[in-house]
Amino acid sequence: MVRTTPLKFFMYLLASIIVTLSVFPIAWIVIASFKTMHQVFQMPPQLVFEPTFDNYRRLLFGGQLMNAFFNSLVISILTVTVSLVLGIPTAYSLSVLKNRVGRNVSFWILSVRMAPAFAVIIPYFILMYYLKLIDTIWAVIVTYLTFAIPFQTWLLKITFEELPRELEEAALIDGATKSSALFRIILPNAAPMIASASILTFVLAWNEFLMAFILTSRDARTVPVLITALSGTHKLDWPIMAAITTVSMIPAFAFITFVQRYLIKGLTMGAVK
Amino acid sequence: MREEYRLLLPAVAVLALLVAVPTFYLFYTSFLNWFLRDPEGPTFGGLNNYIRLIQSGDFRISLVVTLIFSAASVSISLLIGLGLALLFSEKLRGRNIMRTLLVMPIVLPPVVVGFTWKFILSSEVGIIGAYFMRLIGLGDISLLGDPTLALASVIMADIWGKMPLPFLIFLAGIAAIPPIYYESAMIDGASRWHTFKSITLPHLHKPLIVALILRTIDAFNSFDVIFVMTKGGPGMATHTLPMLGWKVGFYYFDIGMASAIGVLLLLLVIAVSMPLVRRISR
Repeated sequence: MVRTTPLKFFMYLLASIIVTLSVFPIAWIVIASFKTMHQVFQMPPQLVFEPTFDNYRRLLFGGQLMNAFFNSLVISILTVTVSLVLGIPTAYSLSVLKNRVGRNVSFWILSVRMAPAFAVIIPYFILMYYLKLIDTIWAVIVTYLTFAIPFQTWLLKITFEELPRELEEAALIDGATKSSALFRIILPNAAPMIASASILTFVLAWNEFLMAFILTSRDARTVPVLITALSGTHKLDWPIMAAITTVSMIPAFAFITFVQRYLIKGLTMGAVK
Repeated sequence: MREEYRLLLPAVAVLALLVAVPTFYLFYTSFLNWFLRDPEGPTFGGLNNYIRLIQSGDFRISLVVTLIFSAASVSISLLIGLGLALLFSEKLRGRNIMRTLLVMPIVLPPVVVGFTWKFILSSEVGIIGAYFMRLIGLGDISLLGDPTLALASVIMADIWGKMPLPFLIFLAGIAAIPPIYYESAMIDGASRWHTFKSITLPHLHKPLIVALILRTIDAFNSFDVIFVMTKGGPGMATHTLPMLGWKVGFYYFDIGMASAIGVLLLLLVIAVSMPLVRRISR
């Protein structure tokens, strides 16, 4: 059935151009991470060159630099874990509570998710300043929970609502409590979706900048804060920056295919399925 | 019934503590004259911060920049997203892999989006900013150094980074249109343009609203991409409201006025997002 009409040909051409243009910036920075300072400055820019792993070596053994990756990793993992543990029971309750209380709480949780980071960060900065927790990962994690909990809870709620309810009802008739139905039936069935929601929460925490930027300075700074700090320096070391940037994209690369079908739900909070 | 309420508690209780209390506190501090490092501590100032804010030139410039930035970024990203969604809804071979590649930027850290474009547009090393500009004889123009071009550049970078959101929303919207409509249009011999205008477009009304609201909230809060690329400069050419808030609060440590900016941003976002939140949460 597939015939190559001129229109179809034009579409393929257009599609390839668009995809190439869209991917180019990512590819270009990854390529730059294998260049030397000299090669980066060469004009016209070289596509074929002798690659160097020097930038990655400097990144790995550069002391301060790896610290940021470690901070980002710990902060993201702990944020996901806490929001998941707190979110699961609440999400389940919201998925079965269809009265006024349930609706109002749902509405509130979703509104919290929309809150601008800048409005949230001011009270937290004051709090952490007086608790002397500025520049610790704990300050960052607590602040991240303000968006991670509503995000996780909401995604889990709409996930639970889509599960077939027969097994759960059968268990309840057999005398199981709601909690045991949640743990024995709902959670195992929803495991892939829970994984997807957690991955998206991880990416959210990994990518966050403004809050971490205000709450940390040196010891607890995350990867986005490191990138910003280095990119503001006068004599920019482009190759090492490219290497840091490339490594910071790994979670996105690693997870995109896995969560792609879930992505739209996560980005729109379920407004689009 | 009781068990449901007990299960409801964990996230709700923690969120109440983590969100509700700080929000009230934010409103409270917005009425204080308070420099964080001032040994005399805060004094009550009433609407002082709001009045000072509205009267300041920096606020007016930041507001205008935010509005221009948001209008441009939102409208263009929606248009491109719609166009791409139409193209990639066609039966093309390799469609899925192409979609995945197009969606990539939205999962990248916004800071990375900013830095990547800073690298490409740099007048020192950038393939566009240094090489192409010299090639077309505009070598002495610095894309991130000229006020108008810098604003255009951060808008472009933001569009590149955020376009996948409207793209995905429209893609889902188009996929949800029952094929029967298109089949009967084909039998009737309707043109492509006509099919688009009378079937596709009306069905995209809801996705359009969702994309519009989400993108607008996002654009009002823009900070990361711009900060990495230009730090708000040159001058105040790319200085958005969150950036003003950052400067006032965490550079001058004027907590009172920063809180006032926070409150304004919060109210702005509530006004824009409420219709959507109400619809989804029903």
